[in-house]
Amino acid sequence: MINFHPSNQQLDIFSNGLMAPAESLIISAHCDMCAQCAEKVALYTEAHSETVFDESSQKLDPSLFGNMLSQIMTQEIDKGIDSEPTNSVLELDGRKFTLPRSLNRFSESIGNWSHLVGKIWQAPVNMGGDVVANFIFMEKGGGVPEHTHRGTEMTLVVNGEFSDGLADYDSGDFMVMDGKNIHTPLTKSDEGCLVFSIIDAPLHFTSGWARLINPFSHLFFK
Amino acid sequence: MLIGITLENNKPDVRKPKDCAAEMAAHLDTVAKERCKASFAKIFGYFAPRLRSYALKQMGNEAIAMELVQDTMSNVWQKAHLFNAEKGSPSTWIFTIARNIRFDMLRKLQNRKEDICSDDMWPVLCEQTADPKEKSLEEKVTLQQVGELFNSLPDKQKAVIEAIYIEGKSQQEVADELNIPLGTVKSRTRLALQRLKDMLETHD
Repeated sequence: MINFHPSNQQLDIFSNGLMAPAESLIISAHCDMCAQCAEKVALYTEAHSETVFDESSQKLDPSLFGNMLSQIMTQEIDKGIDSEPTNSVLELDGRKFTLPRSLNRFSESIGNWSHLVGKIWQAPVNMGGDVVANFIFMEKGGGVPEHTHRGTEMTLVVNGEFSDGLADYDSGDFMVMDGKNIHTPLTKSDEGCLVFSIIDAPLHFTSGWARLINPFSHLFFK
Repeated sequence: MLIGITLENNKPDVRKPKDCAAEMAAHLDTVAKERCKASFAKIFGYFAPRLRSYALKQMGNEAIAMELVQDTMSNVWQKAHLFNAEKGSPSTWIFTIARNIRFDMLRKLQNRKEDICSDDMWPVLCEQTADPKEKSLEEKVTLQQVGELFNSLPDKQKAVIEAIYIEGKSQQEVADELNIPLGTVKSRTRLALQRLKDMLETHD
């Protein structure tokens, strides 16, 4: 059961094509898992396409478009490619996870898993830009030390359940955390928990030994 | 009523997208089934200028905007058979294609940042280019390694760091406890952090 969704405003900005690529990706992946938000996005997109194309220029000026039209129509059609897309599978330590469709195309940009302390594994995803994207897997009993955020952290639960002292999350849940939130993600489920997370600034650890790494947290979480 | 425009007569088609949705859907159908060039020209005539003006607003660069138009319309030509009128209007479908292409283009632009900067096309982005050194560290260093490096600190520095970062004491408390001046605590902390940082940077 998905209990945490992007806000209507976020879905609206996404639908209008105004969101940064990394944020778009995580919202889109949530919509792959959440019929309710996918439905909203469809409605917003319909409204935006109507407005955007209505407000824009209507004149086809040949000096601007040159031979674009004829060039396009010389292209070969390859119908074979468009069969139903299959979902990629992400592997870690013998476990297999099916990725939401939107994340499929990045399966080749996923770096190697590295083992961090606290029974957590991290695999970076090369997204380009200033945002850092990671798959994070928490083994049973594993978690990220208590922290707050210097920037904004968006997280999508891809598979599994975890709690962070603020709430309990399940597959498909989406949340946004910033400097106003302090939390301690931890999973107790036997299967562990895989999340996809993007951050635009390093985390700031707030308690215990983990504070030691604050001066270097940009090396791990950004 | 089919009142499309062609490239030849070049009059603006002022209809709202929803007012020509049925017509455009029919054109898409003929493109899908017969590769009909006349139908595609009608679709192109209506959407290409609209896409260009949307793209120009979004990307702020004529060349990039035209690339977006070209990629979007190529997709329409190639994938017309995937259009499903029951799922939405032609304008919604084409807008969705453009949105996804824009997203991919932005990603590529960000990845190409350095090339673009060297061409001086988008100087603003240069300032955001990450330090390449930082990236290689990010890939190499694990938290466990920090732990190992920490253990290699001189005992006096380690004691100060442990008290502050692990036990959560203030620098004044540490000074009182170890019976050393506050300034010494501060300089040991600074030295220890600097040392860790240096070790991380030379660590492979």
